[in-house]
Amino acid sequence: MEEKLISIVAAALRVPRSKLTLETGPGDLEAWDSLAQINVASEIEAEFGVSIPIEQLAEIRHIRDFLRYFEKTS
Amino acid sequence: MKCALLSNVNIESIARQMVRHEVHIAQGYGVWTQELADPASGTFNFGPSSIFVIVDGAELLRGQRGLELVLAEVDQQLAWIEQAAELSPGIKFFISTVDVPAQTLRPIKEENVERCLEQHWQRGIARASANHGNVYIFDLKELVEQVGRSFLYSNKRWYLGGLRFSIAGEKLIVNELERILDAQLVTRKKCLLLDLDNTLWGGVIGEDGIGGIHLSESGEGARYRDFQLRIRNLGQMGVILGIVSKNNEADAIEVLERHEHMVLRKDDFAAMKINWSAKAQNIAELAQNLDIGMDSIVFIDDNPVEREAIRTELPDVSVPEFPADTCELASFFGQVYKEYFFTLESTEEDRKRTEAYLANAKRAAERTASASIEEFLAGLRTKIFLTRARDEDLARAAQLTQKTNQFNLTTRRYTEQELRALQTTPGTEVFIASVADKYGDNGKVLVSVVRRQAPDTAELDTFLMSCRVLGRFVEDQILDYFVKELRSDGFSKLRVQFIPTRKNAPARAFIERLRGGKLVSDGASGAQTWEFEISKASPVTKTACAELVTKSVPLAEIAS
Repeated sequence: MEEKLISIVAAALRVPRSKLTLETGPGDLEAWDSLAQINVASEIEAEFGVSIPIEQLAEIRHIRDFLRYFEKTS
Repeated sequence: MKCALLSNVNIESIARQMVRHEVHIAQGYGVWTQELADPASGTFNFGPSSIFVIVDGAELLRGQRGLELVLAEVDQQLAWIEQAAELSPGIKFFISTVDVPAQTLRPIKEENVERCLEQHWQRGIARASANHGNVYIFDLKELVEQVGRSFLYSNKRWYLGGLRFSIAGEKLIVNELERILDAQLVTRKKCLLLDLDNTLWGGVIGEDGIGGIHLSESGEGARYRDFQLRIRNLGQMGVILGIVSKNNEADAIEVLERHEHMVLRKDDFAAMKINWSAKAQNIAELAQNLDIGMDSIVFIDDNPVEREAIRTELPDVSVPEFPADTCELASFFGQVYKEYFFTLESTEEDRKRTEAYLANAKRAAERTASASIEEFLAGLRTKIFLTRARDEDLARAAQLTQKTNQFNLTTRRYTEQELRALQTTPGTEVFIASVADKYGDNGKVLVSVVRRQAPDTAELDTFLMSCRVLGRFVEDQILDYFVKELRSDGFSKLRVQFIPTRKNAPARAFIERLRGGKLVSDGASGAQTWEFEISKASPVTKTACAELVTKSVPLAEIAS
């Protein structure tokens, strides 16, 4: 799950996986701007077949927050 | 390739995905009309060769000002598009169709303003495309209809970032945009070879007989008829069609000539190999007869063993998988078109290509019957029309530089825009020639770029000719004409560049048969420059015995 998340984010941002940890978040990398943040969320939604409410998306600060969201909702 | 995207919604995410091309987007996404209207805008300053205008239909209706007002505004936008196309003839404009989802709740008795708007826009861009050779239609609406709005759009991305399309929808759009850009760079395939039994019709002619095969106007046999209709479309777009089938030739020909529901007839095929030999051998022979490379060929056969054999023995031939469900033949062929034969437009030359190849076969037969090459050439009654390329010739000239591999001295690929720039460069001239004979018109087949290098020296930057008129010394006769014109303009030296490639052996043969050349430079990459002293003699020893018509070719301008 963690690995998969990081892969998806790396692909969405077009950066090597090595640049990312679960603690990486929007603003930490130049590639991860506000537009990229929307794309990261869209890719994760598409990959896991879920729809994350817009209110929850606003809470996401790090990749780990996606994990927390999935734990909370599963 | 340099391209610019303009839109009334945020398309930055689309631009970021187009990593294979250099993409410009305007700052601020409501500014697309200003960008088009201002020749000094960032969009034009970027120097794009293509501009995509991606119009979101819902945004056109924003504000609910009533249909009349919206349509008036749309007319103004269309006028800006036409003006921009007019002012920048070297840029290709791809204007999207629009999809307008219902914006309000309303009783069904009331007029559907969204449909009115879609149609109005459609008519407007069709008019723009008809009026301007450089305006093309990017059919976004078709894409929406194929995959559906719920797939293509995303409400969440719209509210979060003004992004209209879903992430998957953006990928589809990027594919379409890149296909259009790539089509301007990559050469498409030239020839489609088809099997017969269980491919063009259902069943096996040798067993089922002409009355037993599946092929009909309606019902089950119509799946093959619909497939054939699309193949004929492709033939009309200039792709050479051919048959490679294991059959008794007489049986197969009977179907081609007599079956009442055949769409494709004998004359639709430029070449046929209907026999019991291995298909790889047949394809190799066909390629040689047609004078095309293996990598220009697509082969369609229902039999997986035949497909595998061709993939193994002729790896440069493209062999798409055949659909397991033959009801999908027509849509399968839509994919084949997009993947191998996609083109922005087809020229008059394209439409006449099969005819030209059939005429070539007749010439070849005559050649065999003639006693000498001179007698044969004289008997063809060839006419060469040579002219400085006019604006309307540049699309064809660019196409020839893009796809001519064999008789091409330098294999320099030029876009229409680059040729236009060369044509207006002092001392440089772009020529184009067409060739006709008693069997018909071969169309525009030769392109040359001649450059004044020094007061007494001219240089051939480009000299290429379609292989359909190869072997007739047309190229020799044109070079001879250049030499005489240059001489009378006071030039004493002609430099001819030759860059060898894997495919341009005919160009090497040409260089080798020219007389009196001196190799003045021989680059590490194999590129050679030959210099000919032209003040007294011509390097050309044999010509096409043709009548050369030059419509006031202004070589004098080169000397001036």
